[in-house]
Amino acid sequence: MLKLQHIGKQFDGKTVLDDICFEIGTGEIMSLLGPSGSGKTTLLHLILGLTGADRGSIVFGDEDLTRVPMKKRGFNIVFQDFALFPNLNAYENIVYGLRNKKGLVSPKEVQEYIDFLELTPHLNKKIGELSGGQKQRVALARTLVAKPKLLLLDEPLSALDGVIKESIKQRIQSIAREFKLTTLIVTHDPEEALTMSDKILIINQGRIAQFGAPQDIIGRPANEFVEQFIIKQLRIKRQNIFNLFGEMYA
Amino acid sequence: MHKAKTEMRVVFALLLLLFAGFLFLPLLVLLIRSFETGEGFSLANYAAVWKGRDMVGAALNSVKVSAVSAVIATTLAFILAYAIHCTRIFRPIKGVLKTAILVPMLLPTITYGFAIMYSFGNQGLITKLIGRNLFEIYGFNGLLTGYVIYTLPPAFLLIHNAFGYVDKKFIIVSKLMGDGTARSFFHAVLRPLAGALGGAFVLAFILSFTDFGIPASVGGTYPVIAAQLYQVMLGSIPDFNQGAVIAVVMLIPAAFGIWLLRYLDKLNFHYDKIDAIELPKHRVRDAGLGILSSAIVVGILSVFAVMFVAPFMNGFPYDTAFTFKHFSDVFASGDLTGVYKNSLWVALLTSLLGTLAAYGAALLNVRTKLKAKGATDVVSMITNTVPGMVLGIAYLLLFNGSSLKGTFAILVLCNIVHLFTTPYLMAKNALSKMNPSWETTGELLGDSWFKTVYRVVLPNSASAIIEMFAYYFVNSMVTISGIIFLVSAQTSVVASKIKELQHFAKFNEIFVLSLLIFFTNLVIKAACDWMQRRRAVR
Repeated sequence: MLKLQHIGKQFDGKTVLDDICFEIGTGEIMSLLGPSGSGKTTLLHLILGLTGADRGSIVFGDEDLTRVPMKKRGFNIVFQDFALFPNLNAYENIVYGLRNKKGLVSPKEVQEYIDFLELTPHLNKKIGELSGGQKQRVALARTLVAKPKLLLLDEPLSALDGVIKESIKQRIQSIAREFKLTTLIVTHDPEEALTMSDKILIINQGRIAQFGAPQDIIGRPANEFVEQFIIKQLRIKRQNIFNLFGEMYA
Repeated sequence: MHKAKTEMRVVFALLLLLFAGFLFLPLLVLLIRSFETGEGFSLANYAAVWKGRDMVGAALNSVKVSAVSAVIATTLAFILAYAIHCTRIFRPIKGVLKTAILVPMLLPTITYGFAIMYSFGNQGLITKLIGRNLFEIYGFNGLLTGYVIYTLPPAFLLIHNAFGYVDKKFIIVSKLMGDGTARSFFHAVLRPLAGALGGAFVLAFILSFTDFGIPASVGGTYPVIAAQLYQVMLGSIPDFNQGAVIAVVMLIPAAFGIWLLRYLDKLNFHYDKIDAIELPKHRVRDAGLGILSSAIVVGILSVFAVMFVAPFMNGFPYDTAFTFKHFSDVFASGDLTGVYKNSLWVALLTSLLGTLAAYGAALLNVRTKLKAKGATDVVSMITNTVPGMVLGIAYLLLFNGSSLKGTFAILVLCNIVHLFTTPYLMAKNALSKMNPSWETTGELLGDSWFKTVYRVVLPNSASAIIEMFAYYFVNSMVTISGIIFLVSAQTSVVASKIKELQHFAKFNEIFVLSLLIFFTNLVIKAACDWMQRRRAVR
């Protein structure tokens, strides 16, 4: 269980996060949704430990992690641009962390992750030779091999297109279910958040606009911002499809 | 970007110590000495230098000859860069022109002077081929020729690099809009390059103004500031305080020039997206510029032709019988081979330690959140501003009585600091293009900062490191301005030995040593280029 209480953060006197509180259970997927500059990436960095909070607390399980350094929190992240090491091939990237944590994962387990993410044909490829989807899967495998307690994904689908996007979406959901891994996703796309998550935290200008399950947000938008940002956007999309293809696709 | 860690602070502190001790402190001592007199501190030294007609005349001569050289070098560099970027000259010829024009950079400037003497002197190779003296080589003309050869390659590199950021589509657009040749040339080529052309002029001017090697060989009775500085410091009656004044005076135009370079860079156009397009064929333009640019390169290289001929003759120009005697003499002479070995050691140590310092400074600047990391930019700006001779004198004044005097360490340190800017900028450029999340990812996977640098950042910047190493090595082999005040009989290097051999008119030895430097640099450059290409293919 991850619990944030009254988290606040300022940069150069400007408030970027104010009174952020939420709680998610083990194995749940939560999306941090908001427009650009709303503070969602800062919140992700705070949870990871890359940045310190000015106020509030971050608790995981029974442990208060607010002042615990990043390396000791046991969380891990897949960055938006994957941050794969181009001097190493796909396999060397996947097992990169094992040199520092010998015995953490057995070779059999590594192979299971590789099979699960269908990476076997690509293991000897250089990073530059992989497609966007393959890079995403290598980055996921590298992170999973480190056995994180919490998986953070920064805009995991933004660099992908069409069909690959859908396949990675399913993959992320399977990871959370299969490994009972609490997963936190940053996104600015309401559709991604609604279709992937158990819970959604909508942030606007550093404050919580609404927190709840996708059904609650669609059914009972808490305020004008949520109505405009999510519901209206989805209606426009639906209308566009209807205009183009008629009732059957809308 | 990564949070500041103890190991980063340690590296930063070490670098600050290096530059505090071997850049800021020597410059401070130099400044103090320029005000020091027998009766305390005053402007008396400045007044004495100002009153002395020699020094003012030399300063004016320096400005005059440097300015004329800079105009010529910039014009020639522009013609070459234009021929490479804006014509349909046969591609391999462009490749040859691009490489050949950089050849003089592999030699010490003092050699240029002797090549000029042996090419254009009364009995010179080119004089003999043409059948008459082209000009009086000692004084203004010799300096002008030497400075143009010296400054043309860096001026070319600057304009050539700027041309890469100019969108050639605009030449076609301009023509399609009905512009004539002159108007199209002005708007689509000259105007976008205004900053680079100004920059090339300033760079050529500073390099000429602060060079010592060329005046040392062909200056003759035409006094320039660098030669005067050498005379005052190491002449029959050395005057260190007056030397300090001249060094400070030399620093002023150099500092102004660097400031101007930064300002001029803003005048350059930077197009958002540049398409590599090929311009249409134009027979007159292509043939004309092909011939002109080839003539420039052949002209420059022909000056050095004598260097490859004279040492193989019994006694050029009178006895032209072929011999290996001069080479075997040099190799048999323990003194000269020792000097060559010294040069190699100094260049090797400079390139290893210099690359380490420049890379470390760039790494801290680009990829950490250290609060004072901007200090490395300040250091780089200062090392770019301070001419080698000024730094050499500052070292001489500070370390004269210390155990560092007359050691290899002081030569290596002087070279590291003097040549710091370019490798530092190379590293910064490479490191800023890398993924900013690598260190965080490495740490999350259990690495220390050093470990991620070693396992990920270093291997991915190998190409830049090779380039930095080559830059430090080649320039350490050819530099003379900085180290001329610091070498001792035991630590003499090839460039300073050439100056010594000049007194005994041992020109064959000079050319043999110059060839040794040339081929050593050529081998290092070729090896580094090969390694870079191999990495690129992988």
